[in-house]
Amino acid sequence: MAEKLLTQRNAWDRVLSSLKKRSLWMLHYCTGCGAIELPPTMTARYDMERFGIMPMVTPRQADILLITGYLSVKTLKRVILIYEQMQSPKYVVGFGSCTINGGMYWNSYSTIKSLDQYLPVELFLAGCMPRPEAIIAGFNALMDKIDQGKANSWEDYYKNYEFYRKNQQHAFGDIETHHDIPSDGAYFGILEADK
Amino acid sequence: MNKPTLDRANVLARPPAAVGKPRSAADLLSAMADELGIKTFFQKAPRRIEGTVAPELLHSFAANLRNRLGVEHLSAISCVDWIDQGQFELVYHFWSYRDSTLMSAKVRIDRATAQMDTITDLWQPASFFERDIHEMFGVYFRGNGDLEKYILSDWNGPPPMRKDFVSRDFAHEHFQFKTYDVPWDERIQGGYYGSRNGEEKKNG
Repeated sequence: MAEKLLTQRNAWDRVLSSLKKRSLWMLHYCTGCGAIELPPTMTARYDMERFGIMPMVTPRQADILLITGYLSVKTLKRVILIYEQMQSPKYVVGFGSCTINGGMYWNSYSTIKSLDQYLPVELFLAGCMPRPEAIIAGFNALMDKIDQGKANSWEDYYKNYEFYRKNQQHAFGDIETHHDIPSDGAYFGILEADK
Repeated sequence: MNKPTLDRANVLARPPAAVGKPRSAADLLSAMADELGIKTFFQKAPRRIEGTVAPELLHSFAANLRNRLGVEHLSAISCVDWIDQGQFELVYHFWSYRDSTLMSAKVRIDRATAQMDTITDLWQPASFFERDIHEMFGVYFRGNGDLEKYILSDWNGPPPMRKDFVSRDFAHEHFQFKTYDVPWDERIQGGYYGSRNGEEKKNG
């Protein structure tokens, strides 16, 4: 399947994706305890930058949105605002058990349980907490997906915006965003790609 | 709602009794009994005094404590839900800088009506605690003009810290969980967990 995909993409796409995968800039949204595993991952011990992954301070220049830990309903709203500011292609990485099924906050009334109901998640890093080795293995998997042209879940936010908006509406109601997602998708030709 | 008018000059003025030699807890108790006529307090620890106050008397008690005994600082207001007795217990923690002593006044109010007088005219920071208790327990503070949503800004449910609010049920009603079909039992041979077919596996 991977070979077939590779042959379908033209040479320029393959060059572009192999360049993309070596310069991933990461915005880490550190709400939970998971942030404590990031300093050793970034600094000399594990040195994430040898893979081209670098922390970035603004959402508009970042490729990866790393959600480290639980999200309360209140912070989810801010994360969605941040996500919509990011330039495509953008990859949401759910970090830790909390983003998968609530983790140790599974019976809490104020934290969301599955992040992929509200944002298109490219990759989940399971664990409570994932160690730096697991983070680097996860990023390597993400780089492989980008290289093969399979990391396209960000398009899902444009294609299935009604699904995400419905879940967001159920969680916290209206949101004052500056982005018209369906119009953006039509403008950039994402919605017509399947037809 | 009208915000309570705050006599700032009066509030910020330091009461004369706040300055002087430190008093022991026994001295404070006798001063409370002599000057304020309150005998429901007792010494719980070397620097800790505790007692009960009727809800309608708490405002005047706090004002006297501050102005006549010189207990200047309101540390916190906390709330306990005694659901079996049908009561909320509000605990007002006062701190005396002069004596380094904590004084806790416990007030029991009816759980069904859940109303209490504000003390924001004495301590303006009390507004924060009252707003928090109003949000988490649903206690209404008469005279506090700012009881808007605070931490749970998008919350529409019942006050979540009440004992009859079951967080797990609420979470299962309002959030969707992923379902898994992971063959743990086949991997853990002879483990503690029974297999999915209902056959118990024994250790060893």
